[in-house]
Amino acid sequence: MENLLAELKTKIVKTLNLVDVTADEIDVEAPMVGGELEIDSIDILELVIMIEKDYGVTIDNKELGEKVFTSIRTLADYIGEKSSESVH
Amino acid sequence: MSGVRIFIVGMGILGPLGRGVERTREALRDGRIGIRPLHLFASPHTGALPVGEVQEPLPVDDPPRTHALALAAAEEALAGSGEPPDAVVMGVTTGGMLRTEELLKEGRRDARAFQCHSTGSVAEMTARKHGCTGPALTISTACSSGAAAIGIALEMLRSGQARRVLAGGADALCRLTFHGFNSLQLIDPDGARPLDRDRRGMCVGEGAAMLLLAASEKPPFEAAVELIGAGFSCDAHHPATPRPDGAGAAEAIRAALDDGKLSAGAIDYINLHGTGTIDNDLAEARAVKAVFGDRTPPLSSVKGAMGHSLAAAGAMEAVIAAMAVSDGRIPGNAGCRIPDPELALDPVMTSEKRPVRAVLSNSFGFGGNNVSLVIGASNPNRPSPPPRGLPAMFVMGSALFAGAGDADALFAALARGEDPGGIRSLAELSRGLPPRAIRRLKRLPRMALSLAGAAREDAGAAASPGAVFFGTGWGALSETHDFLDKLFDSRERFTSPIDFIGSVHNAPAGQIAIHHEAKGPNITTCGGDHAFEQALLSASLLGSRVDSPVMLLGADEHHETFTPLFDPSVQAGTTPSDGGGALCLSMVPDAPGPTISLACFKAFDEGSSAAASLVRALGGARAIRDRFGALLAGLPAAHRPEGQKLLDEFLALAGFSGPVIDYRKIIGEFASASAVGVVLAERFTRAGVVPKGVHGPESLTLSGKGVLHLGLGRFITAVEVIGEGRWGVNR
Repeated sequence: MENLLAELKTKIVKTLNLVDVTADEIDVEAPMVGGELEIDSIDILELVIMIEKDYGVTIDNKELGEKVFTSIRTLADYIGEKSSESVH
Repeated sequence: MSGVRIFIVGMGILGPLGRGVERTREALRDGRIGIRPLHLFASPHTGALPVGEVQEPLPVDDPPRTHALALAAAEEALAGSGEPPDAVVMGVTTGGMLRTEELLKEGRRDARAFQCHSTGSVAEMTARKHGCTGPALTISTACSSGAAAIGIALEMLRSGQARRVLAGGADALCRLTFHGFNSLQLIDPDGARPLDRDRRGMCVGEGAAMLLLAASEKPPFEAAVELIGAGFSCDAHHPATPRPDGAGAAEAIRAALDDGKLSAGAIDYINLHGTGTIDNDLAEARAVKAVFGDRTPPLSSVKGAMGHSLAAAGAMEAVIAAMAVSDGRIPGNAGCRIPDPELALDPVMTSEKRPVRAVLSNSFGFGGNNVSLVIGASNPNRPSPPPRGLPAMFVMGSALFAGAGDADALFAALARGEDPGGIRSLAELSRGLPPRAIRRLKRLPRMALSLAGAAREDAGAAASPGAVFFGTGWGALSETHDFLDKLFDSRERFTSPIDFIGSVHNAPAGQIAIHHEAKGPNITTCGGDHAFEQALLSASLLGSRVDSPVMLLGADEHHETFTPLFDPSVQAGTTPSDGGGALCLSMVPDAPGPTISLACFKAFDEGSSAAASLVRALGGARAIRDRFGALLAGLPAAHRPEGQKLLDEFLALAGFSGPVIDYRKIIGEFASASAVGVVLAERFTRAGVVPKGVHGPESLTLSGKGVLHLGLGRFITAVEVIGEGRWGVNR
């Protein structure tokens, strides 16, 4: 899980072109939308595509998205859960 | 001089409901739905989502689909009309994109294949086909483009610049918009359900519609329908989501009513933008309530029947509004089963016979770009103002950007005998822009923001712009390229929402509006080498609608893959260059600063009388020599031989012996180079000299005169820059 968290932080910085923060500095418990990082709904949609591409996990409706993208921690938990489901 | 009113004397339409006004009328009356699974191209990953696809057979690639749609609608609108229109104004967002996508997928890299890519080429092809030699403007403001085009045509006719204008919009389905909107999770997989309690989104559509508009003192025939008013506003809120309170949309509605000198009570039907997305329908409902309160007239959206045809939508809905007036019949709000109680609107559910004196038609686009039109039965008591001409505009400040950097850097480089063209690095370009605010922006929007900020600074702190007019030949090529690259690389599985939003032509102007809180008209014009002049014309026509200054810009980025494919003036071997120019303008007659005005804008004419005609447009040979101390000649490489020939003839006829500066040889070849050219003209006029290094090693006095800018590409344009600068000039 720690690996996944670290990996997600790096990918988020890269995908969203976050300029004044390094992956290490990001707080995984902090709210994603409207938080310190100034991430908005368009950024979330960009991350949705990244997660589908890199982890094979789909988040295709607003209600699910709101839950999953609460924080990087909740995102990592969801990805972890869905990834292990698909390993049969 | 007595007043003019603007009448609809011809209409044409082609869309998912069929070809022609009659078919469309029947389809709406019968409540038919034209939304079906996508058939035009394969989309294995998403499946064939429902779209508003035109079922009529159309040519496969010659001309490309958008062009074929536009030509068909224009044909119908102009049928039996005799002389060509004086101008064509068209809303387009996709241009030849469908064909370009196929060519890119095939790995084609021959520039000739891409010659119809430009959004501007649709209006130009249509103008040429019908013998129109006046301006062919292309307005690209996302979902409001068609309505914006009609609004601009309205002003063109009121100004007396034209007697008859063909105005409308066209867009074809393509992968960019299909996958782009899908990546924003804005598509309803069950079909659009405008105003419905369970609505989930829109359906992308395609089509074209054209109005032939004529200025006349009285109705040209009995029961002629009148284009009464237009209102423009910008949310200045977010690149893709509307202001939730609908305030910007309400502003556009009020502006349209004011413009038409109508009270809200005069409206008998509102044709909503009504895409079916959760956000749009809610914001629009709030806007309608804010303006109409308890006395909201009957209303409906047709996008449940036709889908959202983007640039065509506003024009198709204008045709539908005109039909509602003529027929006394209101189309039903197709697709809606249970109206959402939160909206507190009571839509007309099925087509209803009812007298309609005036219709309000809304088109609210990405970037909060809002346009409302009022169309109605002719009313002899309605006041009609006399033609107001094309005002001169007063320069409060200016800025330019080229390879060397800003104006100071450019002049310094020239004084040192260095080449100021080329490409400035993204890092240098971004200096002075707030890093967080620009993190999602690529080259063109950063250039636009930088230019707007610099022009405003040059004008002095008080100059907060209220309206933005932006001309770009090719739009945001980096975002467009990166979106398509990611899409095709993944075999159409993955996209970038950020790049999609950034790829729409009006995104840079939308960013300027957000940064400068400019809530008035926000117009992006496209058209190769004369995109900036189109923006200038639009600014002249709409600028007086705001009390505050107006920001006028032109910019183009050089993209290493796309520019050589799309821009015929940039080939292998041309030194890559890009840049732009911006002017902060006042519409107030007694503001200080050089004045800038458009004196000529017409199709290039290879005939022997073209030079004489241009001399006449500028007041004659003597006036040219008396007023101008230098001439800036825009000669795009793709048209240089013809352009040079015309220039030589013009100079001979005018007897002009001042410096003639071939500025593309200085700053390089890029579509909006004329924006830099006009800013150079302004800077020279302001300083009273052509600085050293620009035209020889010495600076050259203008002897108190102004500077003339000529554009000599596919269109002949002339911009006059005249007058004492704030810095004073020797007379």
